[in-house]
Amino acid sequence: MAGARLEVGVGQRPGILKRLAAMAPVRVFAISGSESAEIETLLQDLELEQEIVLTDSPSSANVLLAMGEFPDSMHEPARRIHDQLTRPRRTLWLRQNVSAPSEAIFPKAIREDAHCDLALLLRKIHRDLLTGVEPSEAPILPDEEPALWRGVGPYGQGGTGMTGGVPYGRPMPETAPDRDGLALDQLSVRVGPFFRPFPSGLTLALKLQGDVIQEAAVAENPFDAQKSNPYFESGDPFIRALSEPVPVVEMEMARARHHLHWLCNALQVHGLGALGLRTRAIARSLRPGVVAPIAQLRRILRYSRSVSLVGAGVGVIQPDKIRDRGLGPVARAAGLREDLRMTDPAYQELGFEPVVHAENDVRSRLWQRLDEAMQSVMLAARSGNATSGGGGRVEGPRGVITLDGNSLSLLLGLLPDLLHGLEWGDAVATVVSLDLDLRDVRSQRVS
Amino acid sequence: MISYGRLLGELATIAVVLLAGVYATVVIDLWAGRMVARAPVRAFRVLTFPIRQTALFLLQQPATTERPDAPLWALAPALLAAIAAASLLVIPFSPQTSAAGIESGIVYFGALMALVMIAVYLNGWSANSVFPMIGGYRFIAEALSYEMPLALVLIGAALPAQSLSVSAIVISQDSLWNVIRQPLGLPIYLAAGLGVAFWGPLALPDAADLAGGTESELSGVQLLLWRTTRIAVLVAVAAMGAAVFLGGWTGPWLPGAVWMTVKTISLIFIMVVSRHLVARVRLERFVVVAWTVLIPLALLDVFAAGAVVLAGSPR
Repeated sequence: MAGARLEVGVGQRPGILKRLAAMAPVRVFAISGSESAEIETLLQDLELEQEIVLTDSPSSANVLLAMGEFPDSMHEPARRIHDQLTRPRRTLWLRQNVSAPSEAIFPKAIREDAHCDLALLLRKIHRDLLTGVEPSEAPILPDEEPALWRGVGPYGQGGTGMTGGVPYGRPMPETAPDRDGLALDQLSVRVGPFFRPFPSGLTLALKLQGDVIQEAAVAENPFDAQKSNPYFESGDPFIRALSEPVPVVEMEMARARHHLHWLCNALQVHGLGALGLRTRAIARSLRPGVVAPIAQLRRILRYSRSVSLVGAGVGVIQPDKIRDRGLGPVARAAGLREDLRMTDPAYQELGFEPVVHAENDVRSRLWQRLDEAMQSVMLAARSGNATSGGGGRVEGPRGVITLDGNSLSLLLGLLPDLLHGLEWGDAVATVVSLDLDLRDVRSQRVS
Repeated sequence: MISYGRLLGELATIAVVLLAGVYATVVIDLWAGRMVARAPVRAFRVLTFPIRQTALFLLQQPATTERPDAPLWALAPALLAAIAAASLLVIPFSPQTSAAGIESGIVYFGALMALVMIAVYLNGWSANSVFPMIGGYRFIAEALSYEMPLALVLIGAALPAQSLSVSAIVISQDSLWNVIRQPLGLPIYLAAGLGVAFWGPLALPDAADLAGGTESELSGVQLLLWRTTRIAVLVAVAAMGAAVFLGGWTGPWLPGAVWMTVKTISLIFIMVVSRHLVARVRLERFVVVAWTVLIPLALLDVFAAGAVVLAGSPR
């Protein structure tokens, strides 16, 4: 066992290799439950730490960073992720309230709250793990075959012929006609709920031929089953604006930050990690009226034609399906002039006109949010002491938020049709472009 | 008779050149990423990053998947390493140093680059996991689209030399480099080279939308080897580009090997920076652009080079 191999005796100095490894960037795989805004901010800041690497896959990470509370249906996937981490490994579980009772999803995890110095803590965990001060965590789940197969079938191979049964515990791929009418193998897979480009909790049940999606279904939202949501205690300006007036400057800066953090995630998915980090840094140091860094970012994306490369003509939604549903940037990127701020006196005073793009694809949604971020920074600078809200409806960064619910669930419902026939890369780009948050879908419906 | 001492010496030289190239590429990549991200650059941390990262990977226990094809999985990085090393055999770093003076060096190099496809597909397929396998599929789908322009522009570069030997091509650029004589050649070669090394805009098999694709199930030594050999292929592509389009070892004042190193690193720099400024291209779009733009332009490059040679030859 690697954990045992790495142990050193008391007072024994670790070898040069271990000391060098302890100085290497910490490789972290992060998974989210319904974390609070504070914990979410910690994660966003963590990406800017040069000696921390957030990996796309758990296989090459040594530290599992679990954030927030996990609904029951996410326990087993979370444990499976834990067991996929390479050894030596440790788990750090960040919770809003460390002492709150919970099921031991990760029995050996180090538990901390949102007030910890996360980067420092991760570096310490990594160092202790690599120098053998702390042992590696054992697997949580038993090492079992996915289904009984040994001894089944005429040769004990688990099948009843060439393609029957469950050889090696897994069903053989089915065959189905592809988009050109050829009979090809079809692979049934589930992606989620911790697939990094997707919003936490989103699971897609897919039938793939090559990397083309022949069928897609959205699994049940795991956050539907949760009783409480830390978002409601987070002081989010848009949630507050449902019931009380909130300064426009606060809302617009929050909107700009939200769009820039989304852009960071999108750029990382499209292979532009460094530009993503630059976007994250811009979001962190954003000030009203200062649009130059965002404008510069926009120029880089325009001249490199990166946005067209990833999103032109991809993920087009028919405008009729989303008209008058309060879907904010997604609707405005489809050419629909829908924005509650148009009828808000505070914004009318500021001469607000919504930004609209017409292409209605992934590219259009990316430009939409980037331009809205710039617009919000300018609006914040002009707004002075103006306030808005208190009427039970507010234009949030993902669209209209009301006391009765929102329409993000509509976008979830559109996914199966939207993804059908797309190549996997385009499907991921499409999901990312919609800026879904399954916790938000639930929280608004419950409220 | 084979001189084993000389053979070992040349293999050691190739290994050192490749490892130095890989080290330099990792450092340049990290530095370029920090510059683009507007993050502070701590020179010591950047320069020691490859060593620290290597130590970590050496101590990580390789993860495994459910019933992988273990021999083939282990073979994939070995094949990629062999391709990179074998391709360096025909690249002359100075008039005296070319490990194998193969007369048809350009053809040999093109044939080796085609084998990269097999290594990448092996790595994806043998993991017995969905994302690596899709990564492998993707590489197969894009391979022909970069191999054709790569081969064509290399042929174009060989025409003025009237030889397929890389040394002869370098000598033919004594008065004028191919990058000026054939302005289409180097840009097409670099674009195709990104495909060969599945790097930056053409990093389709190892993309984030596949959670790392063909490397998503790798860890520890396996991951270290895969990443190292992949960068070694990039170094080999850059070195061949420097020899064929930038005049190789030719240049004033400095020794030939220094010129060759400077030119190789310049091309590595261009390819590495592209990773931070240009998004990953959609597979379908790349294939369309390759067949409607890159390949016709590469053919034009060959025809133009041929016409110039014919016009200049004695009747």
